[in-house]
Amino acid sequence: MALVPTLTINDTTTFSDTINFSVTDSLTVTAPSSSLSTIVVDTTGANNIIVAANDNKQTWVFVRHTGTSDGSSSTSAHCDIEITGDVAVGTLKPNEWFFFPFCGNGASKGVQLQAVGSAVQCEYAYWSDSTGQ
Amino acid sequence: MATTTASVAISSSDLQPGNRLSINASSTLMQTGLTTGLELMEMGKGKLTEASAADALHESLGTADTANWVYICNNATDDTHYIKVGIHETIIGNLGAGDWMWMPWNMSDGDAEINIEAEPTGATIPYEYAIFKSTYTLPAKT
Repeated sequence: MALVPTLTINDTTTFSDTINFSVTDSLTVTAPSSSLSTIVVDTTGANNIIVAANDNKQTWVFVRHTGTSDGSSSTSAHCDIEITGDVAVGTLKPNEWFFFPFCGNGASKGVQLQAVGSAVQCEYAYWSDSTGQ
Repeated sequence: MATTTASVAISSSDLQPGNRLSINASSTLMQTGLTTGLELMEMGKGKLTEASAADALHESLGTADTANWVYICNNATDDTHYIKVGIHETIIGNLGAGDWMWMPWNMSDGDAEINIEAEPTGATIPYEYAIFKSTYTLPAKT
């Protein structure tokens, strides 16, 4: 099964030159996977593990902050992305998203989300890479 | 005002029976507070060698809990050549030939350093990257 992710970065206002590039990939993916789902993320990362520890299984992870706390009420609260064990990766603000490859690397690690201050609703999906890298 | 837009489209025609997968998302990169865009950007390309072991993609000389974004792409054409990407001592994942990633980065200190490493033995991997930053502390004069 093929998954085709495309990233486009565009900026015409910040610098005297325009930034505009796009990159497309074609990934061969397999089970386990999760189709697009939503989660209300609370302030304890261990409560919001979206990709369980999977040792060496490479997984592609997409997460988007919906800009709401529950699907309808808007929020400005941030959402941290962490590797289980509370290793901070970065923070999503409302409506931001990320897409990255994750593997437990033999260390029994997963991916978890942690809201900052108050609950945040995120949507997420993941797909396992079949290449074994 | 700085207005950098990051968009993603993720599609598949055969992942879900009877339902073509089509995910689209777009966001404007903003500093904490959501009123000012990111005005610091670094972009480049290079070659990683397996012999050099893990290298830091960028010094993590920023302010804790600010907004920063990282793009990395493995431009190798050999399917066996991949880049291990980690945060300090924790491996995040592997970028195979042609793969890219886009993620926020808490570039506050050495513990938040992004490491990249070419694999397998003997590999030399061309890569490209872009980093969009809220703040950056210039290195001390030598």
